[in-house]
Amino acid sequence: MTRRDLFLIPLFIFLVSCQPQTLKVLEPPADHHQPYDYIGKKGMVVAAHPEAVKAGLNTLKRGGNAVDAAIATAFALNAAEPFASGIGGGGFMIIFLAEEKKATVINFRERAPAKAFPSMYLDKDNVQDIWRKSHGLAVAVPGALAGWVYALKKYGTMNLKNVLESGIQIAEQGIPVSPTFSQINKDEYEKILQNSGESSSYLHDGFPYEPDDIYRNPELAQTLKRLISHGWQDFYDGQIAQGIVQAVQRNGGIMSLEDLAQYSPIEQSPLRGTYKDYTIYTVRPPSSGGLHILQLLNIIAHWPVREWGFNSTLYIHHLSEAFRFIFADKARFLGDPDFTVIPVKQLLSEDYASQITSRIHPGHLQASYPYGRFDKNQIEKENTTHLGVIDSQGNIVSLTQSINDFFGSGIVPEGYGFLLNNEMADFSPYPDSVNSPSPYKRPVSSMGPLILFKKDMPLLVLGSPGGTRIFTSLTQIIINVIEFGMSLDEAIEAPRFFTYSSEGVAKRLFVESRIPQHILQSLEEIGHMIEVREAYDKYFGGAQGILIDRNKNVLYGGADSRRDGSGAGY
Amino acid sequence: MKKCLKFLLILISALSLFFVSESFAQSHPRFEQPLLITSAGQSADVQIGGVLAKRAGLMATLSKNATYQELADKKTLALVIGVSMKGLGAAGLDLDQEKTRVTDLIEEAQKKDIPILCLHLGGEARRGELSDQMIRAFLPYAQMVIVVKSGNKDGLFTQICTDKKISLLEVDRTSEVQEPLKSIFAPIG
Repeated sequence: MTRRDLFLIPLFIFLVSCQPQTLKVLEPPADHHQPYDYIGKKGMVVAAHPEAVKAGLNTLKRGGNAVDAAIATAFALNAAEPFASGIGGGGFMIIFLAEEKKATVINFRERAPAKAFPSMYLDKDNVQDIWRKSHGLAVAVPGALAGWVYALKKYGTMNLKNVLESGIQIAEQGIPVSPTFSQINKDEYEKILQNSGESSSYLHDGFPYEPDDIYRNPELAQTLKRLISHGWQDFYDGQIAQGIVQAVQRNGGIMSLEDLAQYSPIEQSPLRGTYKDYTIYTVRPPSSGGLHILQLLNIIAHWPVREWGFNSTLYIHHLSEAFRFIFADKARFLGDPDFTVIPVKQLLSEDYASQITSRIHPGHLQASYPYGRFDKNQIEKENTTHLGVIDSQGNIVSLTQSINDFFGSGIVPEGYGFLLNNEMADFSPYPDSVNSPSPYKRPVSSMGPLILFKKDMPLLVLGSPGGTRIFTSLTQIIINVIEFGMSLDEAIEAPRFFTYSSEGVAKRLFVESRIPQHILQSLEEIGHMIEVREAYDKYFGGAQGILIDRNKNVLYGGADSRRDGSGAGY
Repeated sequence: MKKCLKFLLILISALSLFFVSESFAQSHPRFEQPLLITSAGQSADVQIGGVLAKRAGLMATLSKNATYQELADKKTLALVIGVSMKGLGAAGLDLDQEKTRVTDLIEEAQKKDIPILCLHLGGEARRGELSDQMIRAFLPYAQMVIVVKSGNKDGLFTQICTDKKISLLEVDRTSEVQEPLKSIFAPIG
């Protein structure tokens, strides 16, 4: 190397570092499982369908704020991903208002009709699962539309017509059916056939949709237009309300017009927790997801997880044991806080986390976990949907919503084209449970939309569907980012695992097949019973997230390939 | 003249349809009614099988969770293959129990000389490690297999059917299974 080289090399490095920072945006890879971060500078939308993402992004570009875009995305999801959410369902959203530096939660969870009672799903002491899942008795009073309108009026800038346009367009013009849509349509065929018949708008000539078929829903488009022409209240006290009640009662349900008329969403303060120097804001019970994520993080903070390594035997074993303790808590304590006292403070205390960690042994499973009867039907659920939005002002919405099972109850009010939820199945069928049905009670949910802050600045917007896997999957994603240094989508796509306990007994450990065989073998040696699922199994959720990199002034969007997750920034 | 031409065209079309379906029927095994339709894997595809049989006018009993005793008065066993963990959970079965149930049915069918028709109706989405286990385990016992083409992209069905000399029919869409079903079943009586 000459003297001249010694001079030129630092000069070259200096000149390169002086170049303006440009974003290198790569095309999404052909293999949709390959981690890919969507990139934006001003705003970002992530959701479970590309058309819904487009609806949200267009709203942002037209000057709407994060709330406007989130509600537009939600309506679009009703048209593009109708099997997971819609006006016939409910959910939770957490909103961060950048200027006020304030986070608030809107709880638009469905609630039980006035005639609900604790033993309504028992017939001579036998639980009637059909009543809970695909019967008029399965339908809870929907809250989605009321919640979206509440958020829009209080925190949005646009009117209902503006945010409905994309949803109407998608429902009228149709979308190509994805393999995910087709598979779910096939999985839920029996229920749709039974409750909507072969002429259902959710079937194609009486059969499930095949990939690349065009799915249109003109009836839904008309319903959404009606919300503009007759006012959204028509859903709760007008002609649509009558259609809902007729459909529910025709299928043996107990919902009345008064139940719909009396529904209102609740605005409440978020639940706050910490992990090391991060702060997490999430939703309160009756959603259990947020609480359990905070519990898990409190426990994990005691462990050298980085040292153990990503998905190492020690890591999976310890987290699995923690999941089992938390499921025991879920069964014992979680209900609607308006009807029962939930010891949230105790569950989130440092002392409680220490007690649990001290009981977890690296070499074997617990003989028993604190007793709690857990509803086995909650385990197979893959449903629900999540969306996240950040706007150019830094306002954020993290919204998770559902109609419970995919295609909900399968009941469609005649001529209106939307699915009614079967959220009553989230109540325990056992009258002695804190989560048994009662008039106007909200069933416990597993949703956990969250915003994670570092030094008072939002860093990560995250949420997922996946039933009872929501909190276990979201916690794994958070740890993947914070402890294992993964990019957002790497963290989302990484192989997941799940287990639970019921009546004090450890249940099987479910793993994605990408977890290496030697790890599974060593877990079996410790005592776990392993059940291997598909490589990218939507059983483990379909997370969406936004990571805010303030140093680079870049927004990264991550969307789960286990479903049709997508994102777009600008 | 025009009328004659039109008549001729209709006649030719009708004859070709007759010969095509005749040749199809001749090149594939014939099955008899009544048939028992059951699942091999507890996916909801078995319901599709039920609707297809109904639309094809077949005398069929749909029993997702059929036991071998249900074959007593049947002349065909139709297995709709495809695993759904959710379906297994709802039926209170694990994969091993489901395999045992289907094996029992096949053994009974063999004892009674009841032919087996395998249907794979879920396409590509109904493939994967668990469904493939069922396909490899039970397809070799079939006299005929009907598969929605996207489910055979990797040629697994072709390979097994070639090796075991099983008649294989591929269709593009689920709804297209209805016509071959009509053709391969002999009319009752």
